[in-house]
Amino acid sequence: MEDILAILEEVRPDVDFLNEDRLIDDDILDSFDIITIVGEFNEEFDIEIDVEDLEPENFNTVAAMKELIDKLQAE
Amino acid sequence: MSFTDLAFFAFVGVTILAYFVTPKRFRWVTLLVASLAFYWINSGWLLLILLATVAVTFGVALWIEASNKRGKDELAAAGKKLDRAEKKALRAKAKKRSRRILALGVCLVLGALLLLKYYDFFADNAAGLLKPLGITPPHFAFLLPLGISFYTLQAIAYMTDVFRGKVKADRNFLKFTLFMSFFPQIVQGPIPRHAQLAKQLYEPHDFDYTRLCHGAQLALWGLFQKMVIADRLAVPVGQVFENYTQYHGLMLFVAAAGYGLQVYTDFSGGMDVARGVAQMLGIELELNFKQPYFSTSIEDFWRRWHITLGSWMKNYVFYPLSLSKAFANLSRKSRRFLGDFVGKRLPPILAMFTVYFLVGFWHGADWKYIMYGVWNGIFLVAGILLPEQYAKWADKLHIDRESFYWRTFQIVRTFIICSLGRLFSRGETLEAAWQMFGSIFAEWNNFTWLSESTRLSLGLTERNWMLLFAAIAVLVWVDRKHEHGIHLREAIDRQRLPLRWIIYYGGIAAVFVFGMWGPAFDASSFIYGRF
Repeated sequence: MEDILAILEEVRPDVDFLNEDRLIDDDILDSFDIITIVGEFNEEFDIEIDVEDLEPENFNTVAAMKELIDKLQAE
Repeated sequence: MSFTDLAFFAFVGVTILAYFVTPKRFRWVTLLVASLAFYWINSGWLLLILLATVAVTFGVALWIEASNKRGKDELAAAGKKLDRAEKKALRAKAKKRSRRILALGVCLVLGALLLLKYYDFFADNAAGLLKPLGITPPHFAFLLPLGISFYTLQAIAYMTDVFRGKVKADRNFLKFTLFMSFFPQIVQGPIPRHAQLAKQLYEPHDFDYTRLCHGAQLALWGLFQKMVIADRLAVPVGQVFENYTQYHGLMLFVAAAGYGLQVYTDFSGGMDVARGVAQMLGIELELNFKQPYFSTSIEDFWRRWHITLGSWMKNYVFYPLSLSKAFANLSRKSRRFLGDFVGKRLPPILAMFTVYFLVGFWHGADWKYIMYGVWNGIFLVAGILLPEQYAKWADKLHIDRESFYWRTFQIVRTFIICSLGRLFSRGETLEAAWQMFGSIFAEWNNFTWLSESTRLSLGLTERNWMLLFAAIAVLVWVDRKHEHGIHLREAIDRQRLPLRWIIYYGGIAAVFVFGMWGPAFDASSFIYGRF
């Protein structure tokens, strides 16, 4: 969780990630942020986040992102 | 039969009546018949081209789904015997197989669009290269099937969604034909996604008086935007753009801004008619505009303008390109030369430029449209690369970035950038657009455009100008209410009966009396209907 937060805060230092639960639905993160974050996740966690995974429910909260990463690591 | 024809109102009336008297099980059939009839009335035999795309899309989607299933079955059968890397390889192999089928489908439907809409453009541009060989490519000037630019994107989205496992492939060809041809949206969108629209079309809806009224109000508001504002603005805007050498400086900027407003009211008006008609039938189409003139940046503008095209581009071009292996490699390599900051951002920046190039090209087969896309792309990329710089400048100038004045400044700045971009989409040619662009900055000529004599030389009478300004004021008021989350139609519902009917009749009268009817103002074809 810590490492995920560190990546997120590097990309968007202005967002309070722990207290937001509609990061995508409320347009807090835009498509450009998503791509930057996905690139970092892929590198850091040795996973391949695919286009199919780019759904709001996977990126609305930090917990959802963690769940996605765990799922891809387990595959 | 345009949305502004009396025949269209009659068509809608008959369709609504027929829909609600048809037994529930067959209501979707009524919509299908109405949609095919609408297409036939507008395009005649070109209907066959639409049906060919529908058939290809339908078949390819089923094929992709079968291929996906085969991949899953193979994995399930061999699953326990394989380690993680082998499973991954098997998954990749299955995916590649499905991806090839998807590529075939995309090539077929996109091929039809490229051939019919862009062939002459390519032929013209290739002519110079082929001249030394003594070859002159022929011109065909194909007739464009109605809505081809829209339904092609819809078909690609559907096949890709099936490939990605987001939706199940349709198994009923006739129902799928309805999804692809639904008459309110076929002309100029909104570009639907299967998951959002198909079920609504296939399921029967009950008659609902309030919804019928809301739909009719929305359609009426659409007609007001189109016929009272857009078609009226088209007159002076056309005069300036078509005789641009006679006008200079600020006047050209005002014309470009006027064209921006014309396109907005034309397109958003068309959308409201489409959404209103669909709503009367119980079907919700997606929102395509969210008060774009309240945008504080170009990025914000494109989130509010032609939303379904933007979201199509995001899902089917921007994300796949940004996440592609080629772009990831490029990012790795470029970091060595350009540093981490730019290297990491290079793939999405290139993908974004590709998107705006395509957005421009999608609008029409002409370099001016491509330049229109590039113009927007430049400001979007600047918005990505320079925010820290902007923040530093703002701090140095002691600007409070939360203040009302700063927000107003941002809105005005965005409006100016957007309006300048309109020179490219409306200029007679790319050269004409550049000439106008240069004149705006080089020939600073006071405010002659404000004078009565200039105004009256542009094709509208004083009464028409006053009406236009009043109508724009109404538009600004309505957009401002929407921006603040106020739902006007519900507010009207809460009024007493007499007042409600005064509003209805007032609206109808405004469109009938102040709308630009008749051959003298033959601007009634929708701008986006031509794209």
